Amino acid sequence: MLTVKQSQKNFIKLLILFIAIITPWVIGYFYVKNIKDSQKADKVKLVNYKKDTIPKVNHSKFEILQQKFETPQQVTEACLSCHNRTGHDVMKSSHWNWTKDYRTDSGDTIQLGKKNIINNFCIGISSNEPRCTSCHIGYGWKDHSFDFTDSRNIDCIVCHDRTGTYKKFPTGAGYPVKEVKKFGNKTFYPPDYNKIAQNVGTPARQNCGTCHFVGGGGNNVKHGDIANEMNQVTKEVDVHMGLDGANMECVDCHKTERHNITGNLYSIASADTNRVSCERCHTGQPHKNTIINQHTKKVACQTCHIPEYAKVSATKMYWNWSTAGKFNDDGSVLIKKDSAGNMIYHSLKGSFVWKNNVKPEYMWFNGKAKHYVLGDKVDTTKPVQLNTLLGNYHDKNSKIVPVKVHSGRQIYDPVNNTMILPHLFGKDSTSYWKNFDWNKAAETGMKSVNQPYSGKYAFAPTEMYWPINHMVAPMGKSLQCTDCHSRNSRLAKLTDFYLPGRDYSSFLDWLGFGLMFFAFVGVVIHAVLRILK
Amino acid sequence: MKKRTYIYRGFERFWHWSQALLIFFLALTGFEIHGTFSVFGFENVVRWHDIAAWAFLVLIVFAIFWHFVTGEWKQYIPTTKFIKAQISYYITGIFKGAPHPTHKTIYNKFNPLQRIIYLGLKLLVIPVQVLTGFIYMFYIYPNNPVNVSGLSVIALIHTFGAFTLLAFVIAHVYLTTTGDTPLSSIKAMLTGWEVVDVDEKEERTKHLQHAVDESAAGYYRIDKEGNIIDVNEAWLKMFKCKDRSKVIGKHYSFTRDKKNLKELDDLVKRVLNGEVITGLPATRQCMDGSKGKHLLSANPVIEEGEITGMEGFILDISETEELTEHMYYAVRNSGAGYYRLNEEGIITDVNEAWLELYKYDNKEEVIGKHYTITRRPTEVGQLEDTFKKVMNGETLSGKLAIRRCKDGSVGKHILSADPIFIGNKIVGMEGFILDISEIDIDKEE
Repeated sequence: MLTVKQSQKNFIKLLILFIAIITPWVIGYFYVKNIKDSQKADKVKLVNYKKDTIPKVNHSKFEILQQKFETPQQVTEACLSCHNRTGHDVMKSSHWNWTKDYRTDSGDTIQLGKKNIINNFCIGISSNEPRCTSCHIGYGWKDHSFDFTDSRNIDCIVCHDRTGTYKKFPTGAGYPVKEVKKFGNKTFYPPDYNKIAQNVGTPARQNCGTCHFVGGGGNNVKHGDIANEMNQVTKEVDVHMGLDGANMECVDCHKTERHNITGNLYSIASADTNRVSCERCHTGQPHKNTIINQHTKKVACQTCHIPEYAKVSATKMYWNWSTAGKFNDDGSVLIKKDSAGNMIYHSLKGSFVWKNNVKPEYMWFNGKAKHYVLGDKVDTTKPVQLNTLLGNYHDKNSKIVPVKVHSGRQIYDPVNNTMILPHLFGKDSTSYWKNFDWNKAAETGMKSVNQPYSGKYAFAPTEMYWPINHMVAPMGKSLQCTDCHSRNSRLAKLTDFYLPGRDYSSFLDWLGFGLMFFAFVGVVIHAVLRILK
Repeated sequence: MKKRTYIYRGFERFWHWSQALLIFFLALTGFEIHGTFSVFGFENVVRWHDIAAWAFLVLIVFAIFWHFVTGEWKQYIPTTKFIKAQISYYITGIFKGAPHPTHKTIYNKFNPLQRIIYLGLKLLVIPVQVLTGFIYMFYIYPNNPVNVSGLSVIALIHTFGAFTLLAFVIAHVYLTTTGDTPLSSIKAMLTGWEVVDVDEKEERTKHLQHAVDESAAGYYRIDKEGNIIDVNEAWLKMFKCKDRSKVIGKHYSFTRDKKNLKELDDLVKRVLNGEVITGLPATRQCMDGSKGKHLLSANPVIEEGEITGMEGFILDISETEELTEHMYYAVRNSGAGYYRLNEEGIITDVNEAWLELYKYDNKEEVIGKHYTITRRPTEVGQLEDTFKKVMNGETLSGKLAIRRCKDGSVGKHILSADPIFIGNKIVGMEGFILDISEIDIDKEE
C-alpha cells in the first residue's frame, strides 16, 4: 500500500533513471550527426598560395629583341645581356646538367642523372645523344664533347616561349630546324626568333609539357600522371590544373628560385631535398576529422587523393626489348596497334603493354632513392630494380605513396652480370635501329661509358618505380576508408604492419568464432535437455 | 525461507544494462572495424566505437566508485566452497530438478561460479580491453606516444577479448533462465525485486531490532554494574531526554527518585541473579524532574553462559493512569507479545508470548492468516482503523484492545504498533501487546 506521495516519488525516480539511460545516447547521436554535417560543408584549406597573373615586363619593348636573329644562340646572348646572372644559375640546375648529387653505398658522392643512368624505356643517352637531347635545355649536346660551361648554348626559349610556336627537332641534339623538315608525319618549321623573343614569359604548362608530357618518346609513356591532355584538362582529371578548376600552371607548385625548380622525380633523383609538397599549401592537418589528419603521419596525401592515374590517355606499363627486330614480310618496319590506337609492337623497340585508369601500387617511401649505377652487378632471377624507393613502416620518415611500376625486359651482359647501355640511335654501322644487331649496339654503347662488355648478351626483367603526384582527384573522389581498411585492401602488398580491417589472425578468428559457436551450441543442448526432462 | 526482496538497486541496474548495451554496440562496431562484415561504413563505426569506448570508461569509473561506496565489491570475493557443487548442478542436477546448491540472498547474490567469472571480467577481461583499446586509440605509428612496434599484438589481444566477452554474453544470457522461472532473473535485473532466500534468524533479529528501534515501547540495557549501555528513541522520549549521550554510561539510579530507587535496586539484583520480571509498574523520574509511570519488563542478558547485564522494555502508562493498578497484575502475569503483519494485513510473525495470550499452540496456526482472526466481528473495525493509520505512517501506543483467542474466548491487552519500512516504502506493521485481561475480566464478573 503506497501513499500518493511515495508513488510520485517512485515515478520521479524512474523518470530520472530513464533520462540517465537515454541522455548519453541522444548526445552521442547528435554528436555523430553534427560531425557528419560539418564535414559536408568542408572547404579546402589553403595557405601560402598566391598566383602572379600580370607579367613584370613587356619584352616586346626591348630594343635588343628587335634585331634580326639568325641563330638561337643569338637569342640567348640577347637574353643574358640583361639577365646577366641567369646563365650562371641555369648552368647549376639539373635541367642543364642532367645530374644530381648521389651518395653511393660506399659513401662517395657522385653526379648521377640521365648522363650516366639507365632506365627501362630507351635505356640510356650515352652514344644516343642527338635523339635524347632534343629534350635538353641546350643546343648541340650531340656527344661527350658538349661544353656545359658555355652559356650561349642555353635554350632559354624552350621554357619561356609563350607563342607556342617554338619546337626543337626530335633528333637535332636540342636545336630547332633551320629549314622546313619532316619527322615521321610531323612537319617542323624554323622558329620566328624575334616574335618568340618578344613574347617570352613565365613558363606555362605547354612549355614544361613539351618534354615532360612526352618523356620516353611519346605521349604519357613514362609518367602516367602527366601527359599532353594536361593542356586541356578538366578538374575531374586534375583538380589543380583543370581549366574548369584551379587552373594552375606547373610552376605554381614547382616553385622556382634562381632557376632551381623544386620537385624531384625519383626515376633519377635520390635525395629528400628540393621537393614539392602538398602540405606547403594545404598544411599537414587539412581535414576536419582528427583520425584522418593522423593518417598524414604515415600516408602521403597522394595515396588517398590520386585513386588512379592515366585517366585520359593510356600509359606504358611494360616494355619488352627482347621481341624487337621483327619485320613485315616485305622487310618494312612492323607496327601493331591495339583497338585504342596504342602501339603494342614496333620493330625498333619491341612490344608494349599500355593501361588506362590505372590503380597505383603502394610503397613505403622516405624521399630517398637508390639507383642502378652502370657497372653494378645484378641478380636477374628477379626483376632488377633500376631505381629503388627507400623506406619501410618502422622508418619514421616513411609514408605510403602511390607508385607507377614500369616493368621491362632489356639487354644485359650475362657474363659480367651487368646491365647494358646499348647504342640505339645513329646512322653508323653499329646502332641497333639501323643494323638490328644487339651485339654491335652493346659493344659501342658500353664503350661510350667505359664499361666492359663480354660479347654475350641476354634479356633481364627490370622494374622502375615512379611515384605518382599529379591527377589529384576532386573532393569526394578520393579513396574511402575501406579501400585500404578491408580484406580486399589496396595495401595488400604492404605487409610490414598491422592494418585494421585488413589484417587479422585467422587462427584467432577461428578460435574466437569457435568459442562463440560452442558456447551457443552448448547453451542450446543444455536448454533442450532441460525442456525434455 | 524465501521472500520477495529488493536486491538490485537503481544504479546497479542502470550500470548493468548500460554495460550490456555498450558491450553489444562495441562488438557490433568492433567487428566491422575487424573486417568481419561491412554494414554501417568504416568511418562511422570507427567514430562510434571511440565514442562508445569513452562512454564505457565513464560508466566503469562510476561503477568502481559505486562498488566501493556500497561495499558491493565484497559480493565478488571468490570462493571455492560449493564451486564443485555448482558445476555439477549445471551438468546434472538441473536436469533432475535438484535445488540450487547455494542460496541467493541479498548478502550473497552470486553463486561461486558467478563470483569467479564476474571477478575475471572485472579484473582481467575488461581492464585488458580498456587498456588495449586505449593503446589502439592513441597509438599513432612508431614511438608515439607508447613504444609498441605496431598494432599487431595489441589488436589481436583486443580481438580475443571481444570474442571472450561475446562467448560470456551467450552463456550469461542463457544462464539467466535457470532462476526460479525462466524470466525471473531478467525481471529482477529490470525491477530490482526478486524472490530470494532470507536467513530466518537474521530476518527475525532484523525485525526485532527494527521493532525495538521504532516502537513506542522503550528499550534499555544496562551492564552488571548498573550502567546504561543502550536505550532506544522511545525510552529517551519517555524520559524527556534529547541527547542519548547524556544517558549512556550513567548509572541507572538517576532514573528514579530516592523513594523509588530501592525498589529498582532490588529488581536489578534479582534479574542479575537470573530472574525474569514482567509487567512491573514503576514511577520514573524524567530528565526535567517530572514524573511518569510505566510498566517495565526486565530480563538478564546472557553472553557465553554468563549474565552480563539486564535489558527490558517499558510501556508508558501515564495517560491511562486509572488502569495502573489493574495493569500491574495483568502484565505481571504475561510477557510482551510481539506480532508482525505485512502490507495486506497478513500475519507474518508472532512470538511465544503472543501465542500464549491468544492460546495458540504453534506459529503455523496463525502465520499467513489475516489479522481479522484476532478480533470478534464487533471489534474488527477498531483494528482496521489502527492498521490503516499505521500503514499511513503513524506510530501508536497504549491502545486498549479486546482480542479473540483461538478458542473463541476474549482477553484484554494494550497494544503498540509501528510501520515497517523498506526504503521509503511501508511494507507492514509490527508491535507489542501487553496483557491486562485478568483484572478486567475479574471486575466484570
